[in-house]
Amino acid sequence: MTVLLVGLLAIYMAGIILPPCFPGRPRIQNLVAHGLATGAGLVGIVLGLAGLLVPEPWTVSAESTIPFLSFAIRLDPLASFFVLTISLVGLAASIFALGYVTEFYGRSSIAAMGSLFNGFLLSMTLVVMADNGFLFLIVWELMALLSYFLVVTEHEKAEVRYAGLFYLIMAHVGTAFIVLTFLIFFQEAGSFSFEAFRHPEQPLPEGMRTLAFLMALVGFGAKAGIVPLHVWLPYAHPAAPSHISALMSGVMIKTAIYALLRVYFDFLGGQFPWWWGFVVLLVGTTSALLGVMYALMENDLKRLLAFSSVENVGIILLGIGAGMIFQSYGLKEFAALGLLAGLYHTINHAMFKGLLFMGAGSLLYAAHTRNMEEYGGLLRRMPWTGLFFLVGAVSISALPLANGFVSEWLVFQTLFLSLKLPALFLKLMLPIAAALLALTGVLALVCFAKAFGMSFLALPRSSHARHAKEVPIAMRIGMGFLAVWCVGLGLAPMIVVPLLNRITGPLTGVSISDKVLALDGWALAPVNVQFSSISPPMLAAMLIACGLLGLFLAFMFGGRLVTRSHKTWGCGINLSSRTEYTATGFVQPIKRVFSTIYQPTVKLETEFLEESRYFAKRRRFEFHIEPVFQKYLYDPLVDFFVGMADRLRILQAGSLHLYLAYIFVTLVVLLLFAV
Amino acid sequence: MSLFSIDVGSQLVDLGSALLLLTCFAIVAQRRLSACVDLFVLQSVFLALTASLVAFLTGIHHIYVAAALTIVVKAVIIPRILKQVIEHVNVKRELEMNVNVPTGLLICGALVILAFFITQPIIPLGFLLTRDSLAIALAIVLIGFFMMIARKKAVTQVIGFLVMENGLFLGATAAAYGMPLIVELGVFFDLLVGTLIIGIYSHRLQDAFDSVDTSKLTTLKE
Repeated sequence: MTVLLVGLLAIYMAGIILPPCFPGRPRIQNLVAHGLATGAGLVGIVLGLAGLLVPEPWTVSAESTIPFLSFAIRLDPLASFFVLTISLVGLAASIFALGYVTEFYGRSSIAAMGSLFNGFLLSMTLVVMADNGFLFLIVWELMALLSYFLVVTEHEKAEVRYAGLFYLIMAHVGTAFIVLTFLIFFQEAGSFSFEAFRHPEQPLPEGMRTLAFLMALVGFGAKAGIVPLHVWLPYAHPAAPSHISALMSGVMIKTAIYALLRVYFDFLGGQFPWWWGFVVLLVGTTSALLGVMYALMENDLKRLLAFSSVENVGIILLGIGAGMIFQSYGLKEFAALGLLAGLYHTINHAMFKGLLFMGAGSLLYAAHTRNMEEYGGLLRRMPWTGLFFLVGAVSISALPLANGFVSEWLVFQTLFLSLKLPALFLKLMLPIAAALLALTGVLALVCFAKAFGMSFLALPRSSHARHAKEVPIAMRIGMGFLAVWCVGLGLAPMIVVPLLNRITGPLTGVSISDKVLALDGWALAPVNVQFSSISPPMLAAMLIACGLLGLFLAFMFGGRLVTRSHKTWGCGINLSSRTEYTATGFVQPIKRVFSTIYQPTVKLETEFLEESRYFAKRRRFEFHIEPVFQKYLYDPLVDFFVGMADRLRILQAGSLHLYLAYIFVTLVVLLLFAV
Repeated sequence: MSLFSIDVGSQLVDLGSALLLLTCFAIVAQRRLSACVDLFVLQSVFLALTASLVAFLTGIHHIYVAAALTIVVKAVIIPRILKQVIEHVNVKRELEMNVNVPTGLLICGALVILAFFITQPIIPLGFLLTRDSLAIALAIVLIGFFMMIARKKAVTQVIGFLVMENGLFLGATAAAYGMPLIVELGVFFDLLVGTLIIGIYSHRLQDAFDSVDTSKLTTLKE
């Protein structure tokens, strides 16, 4: 373990230091930076797996001269699981980046990008491994800053700078709350070590525990992107280069999930009133539903994916929230199931969101735009990207054969177990959450049908799309790697569940893998086989068999295949891209149905021919949806602070003497007070 | 030690401190810049003498080193830099002030009373023979600070800053027989670099505004 850890740190450090050593040679910088990151990813995967498999948590620490800070690292199953997730996506992103950053040659500094990329991966890995509050805050802050610099890679664009600023502010608001959380623990523990947080000398008073719960939810929620703290995601994630977006959306927001689990189940010992879990459940449901609804309306592919991350964080929190409710009623096995479902969805989301962002990056690389209305017909030109994107889309829409299906199914099962709860209110609320999750699932399916259909099917809608070419091999390998994982995680729950059980076991105190896995692991049965069970591998086999059977029957009884090549019939007119569904048009019905939430403004201006009002010369269609949270929550807040700052500016007169006088008066007053 | 009894030694240290305070008032009353620098040199020499006296009375040798450094840095090098600056910016006298001289002297008197008032509860707790100087040291710090506020020219503000530092040095000697040598060395180095930077900055100020009046910096506000 020590060798692996030191190796991991050393490779990342080399990846940070070496790229700037080759000034003016972007190719070598690219190879060095992302090659080293690939190696570190491999080491990280081994380290994560080792951490999951060893029986006891593995710790190492070095004291520092700074008070309260010690470089303590602890690899328990929970941390190892996140190390594994980060390394998997990191590995894929590194390979992808080898091809992707060629786009930036001559425009941005490849050395800076490569160094920051390695630093970002390193800081994320350290966040989940840290075993000291102070160290955690340092690497957490480092993670935020490094990702900020990566977001503003294309800082010559104004909207990128705006996105960066927005992200930076939100990240720091979150950090402020996290600092408060840790200070609450520190008060009783007297030390910043996580071990002391776990076993404080005196237990925290009830009020303080509640405060810690809320502070952690806000602080880490800002990073995870829960509604209403999600507003930075659709700005920052699209602004970053795509391999960075894949990391930010796929993994960085998961570090917040890690921290929430760490605080609630580890520091607070899994002892909490039922309403904590209910709050998390509520936040999860809201995030899931609103996330997918806003995603649906986006025509910018990367913004769509960012909103979809809000949705998936919501689904993860649904699992965790349900687990927390069961935990507070002492139903430990169900609690473990909820956590297991949440964690399963965490790694799944990391895989498919990483994959989809890389797919979006490939489209951006090939077509030089993020607007879906300018894609179309790309499947023919980029078959591999299309295939991988389809795998990602199928996974995220929770269709069978892929991983999203398994984890969402487990979340559903957890929610249905509410009938075992003693409280009537919760008995009602959990199924409602399940119903809303179902709605979310359907909308996600529409959303990704749109994303895939508009991008890859039909005819090209612009010359960009017409001239698109398949992306370099490195990018395809990066995507392919994650696509394999998407399918693998979906087909092999019998391997994944026991591993996840090693995490939920210590957190809840019970082991459930034997119960969840029925029929020698071939089926998943959260309660018992009769009540509900499912066998992903069998399902896959049956689906494939049915497909083959259909083909076989067609071959047997369908007679000879006659190939006729002709244009699609279009009622006599020539079909062009103008006859296709547009991305906006595709979701029009949903926009109508949920107009209360979207509050759309539609503007249609028609300019008629002078000769006759029956013929339109030009039509202009404008459509916006109201950014509700920004308008009613953030804008008033920003106005308030700007107003305050304006009033405070009187103090800031710019006179040196006045400033000196401020200090002088303060000094004298303080001295007088001291007497 | 045999020459003086402890009492006499204590009286002498008080005398040195009082002379330091006196030079402070002289600096506040002085309008000519070069005379201000000269008075500062005088103050530094008094400081060095007082420090040596303390070193002699207590037998702590590193205070000698600090005293020698005071002479070298504050009585030789820094005045030379300041004189050069005055030469360059060609400002001999300070005509406008934020607070005129008589009022300034009155305020300084008030500051001395304040300093004695503040330190009154602390001094009886001390047992060092230099303890009475603490009040004077605080008064010097406050007066130095006041000079930085009252004067407009960059050069006199530097002198105010240096006077403050002298007060701090005296305070450290009075309260604890000086700081560890390594700290003193650091302080001297900082002071030297600080003065150098402010000197260069005054040159730039002169070039940019044709004046070293720091109240002109208000125009830098957006």
